[in-house]
Amino acid sequence: MSSHREAPEISKDPVADSSDLYAFVSPDDPDTVTLIANYVPLQLPASGPNFFEFGDDVLYEIHIDANGDARPDVTYQFRFRTELRNDRTFLYNTGPIESLDSENWNRRQFYSVTKVDSHGKSTVLAKNLPCPPCNVGPLSIPDYEKLAEDAVHRLKTGEKVFAGQRADAFFVDLGAIFDLGTLRPFQDKHLVGQNLFNYAGKAVNATDKTNVHSIAIQIPLHMVRRDGKKRVRGRDAGAVIGVWTSASRRQVEVRNNKNGNDVVVGPQVQVSRLGNPLFNEVIVPMAEKDRWNSLPPSEDKRFAEFVATPELGALLPVLYPGLFDNLDALNKTKEPRADLLAILLTGIPDGLIDGFQNNTGELQADMLRLNTAIPPAEKENKFGVVGGDLAGFPNGRRIADDVVSISLRAIAGATVPLVNADFEPDAAAALVEQGLSIKDASAGLLKKFPFLGTPFDGFGNPS
Amino acid sequence: MSRVRYRSQSRPWLSRRKVLALAATGVGVSAASVAGLSLAGENGSDDREKGKPLVLSLRDASEGTFDVFSGEKRLTITDKKLAAQLLKAAGR
Repeated sequence: MSSHREAPEISKDPVADSSDLYAFVSPDDPDTVTLIANYVPLQLPASGPNFFEFGDDVLYEIHIDANGDARPDVTYQFRFRTELRNDRTFLYNTGPIESLDSENWNRRQFYSVTKVDSHGKSTVLAKNLPCPPCNVGPLSIPDYEKLAEDAVHRLKTGEKVFAGQRADAFFVDLGAIFDLGTLRPFQDKHLVGQNLFNYAGKAVNATDKTNVHSIAIQIPLHMVRRDGKKRVRGRDAGAVIGVWTSASRRQVEVRNNKNGNDVVVGPQVQVSRLGNPLFNEVIVPMAEKDRWNSLPPSEDKRFAEFVATPELGALLPVLYPGLFDNLDALNKTKEPRADLLAILLTGIPDGLIDGFQNNTGELQADMLRLNTAIPPAEKENKFGVVGGDLAGFPNGRRIADDVVSISLRAIAGATVPLVNADFEPDAAAALVEQGLSIKDASAGLLKKFPFLGTPFDGFGNPS
Repeated sequence: MSRVRYRSQSRPWLSRRKVLALAATGVGVSAASVAGLSLAGENGSDDREKGKPLVLSLRDASEGTFDVFSGEKRLTITDKKLAAQLLKAAGR
């Protein structure tokens, strides 16, 4: 998946597990950027009485690097607090929840937003902002959309924030991909699959009808650019920002079972990180994934070798015999994949793609790089930059971008000509895809902030 | 894992002094010797941490190196005698 349960340790700690990160110039307000960090993945909607929530003992952060040093120039911190109204009931709610301060809603969450500048100075922007409830069902929450709208908060400093449950819009055929790298549309071409299938299969979206907890913030663009300018040109270095999210826990926890008051002390230690989708998932070896999650992007040079010679790039010619011969020949040269190093670790420099760059310099760091001067596309192409749509991944990441297929095509060699004009990609590199689109995420999307769709309700899901 | 807050319930936190005193009692160290420990990097007390517990971790018994976790800080102290007494109390 993008980053759902992507590393051994964090897979056991879903509350702190970042699953997706999106960064795009807002189509509903193009003078702003929308950043969305999803946590607590793979929620089954019918999960009462203890519905999902953020961790009160987790520090959630969204970081923005404005000058290419892979260190945050602006960090937004989100801290959560849970309150019980009634300590004599086992129920999440004791009647319909029709407002965010409903007396019927027993277990509520609130959060604060703190902004940290490049000098480490913290400013609390807001406190006690209410989250919406989980979508229990239509009897408990007759108008969920209204409640969710009420949970969008505009801060005095200009940002808009939302934190709460949403439908997971990430689409991936997880079952096939991790069954020996099968892509169902090409299952009859697969090394093993050709013994089982004589037809192309239809992909299955494994994350459909699951929910996540989203932290979304919409920020005026001038507040994230290095020079504070309201207008920049696409070629300006100051147009590009790098974004990542992290979750941290205090270093020590002593469980004492006295009225539930555990002792939680010590510095925050990072347990989860996410920049580019799939980076830790399919680039970093399993033995290194937990360490990667604990490090900042400024340390990513140590992982560059796995980008330069991606394991998946070596597997494709083996798994799909005869379809990736040119990639196979390229692999045998043992030349580092300069195209992937640029896309994932430095950004694409000016001059390789007409009218586009999202380069942040030579420092190698996994960040979602967004050229903020490129306006939202009137008609999105799910293949993003690879499909000629410069407003999509790997220029930031929109919700509907098919990052699995884009990454597959890039690793298959489709982007090698950016750096090696003599290389001719295999025909399959331009065709390979998982066979899904945002239409396979059945909740749909909102046209305005926070964009992710209404969470699936527990009454109707699973059905 | 999460620390749910009940609206009208006070939290019976152990105090930092109590934790140190408990450690001292358990290993037979005098209160004076514990109070005499200097916490590297600690500049004065943090009012926000008053009344809240701290945690000691013996990182290197032979050197007597402790990590002291207090609030959002981790401090390092060295006390071979305390380390030896703690090990003895723990039956190691």
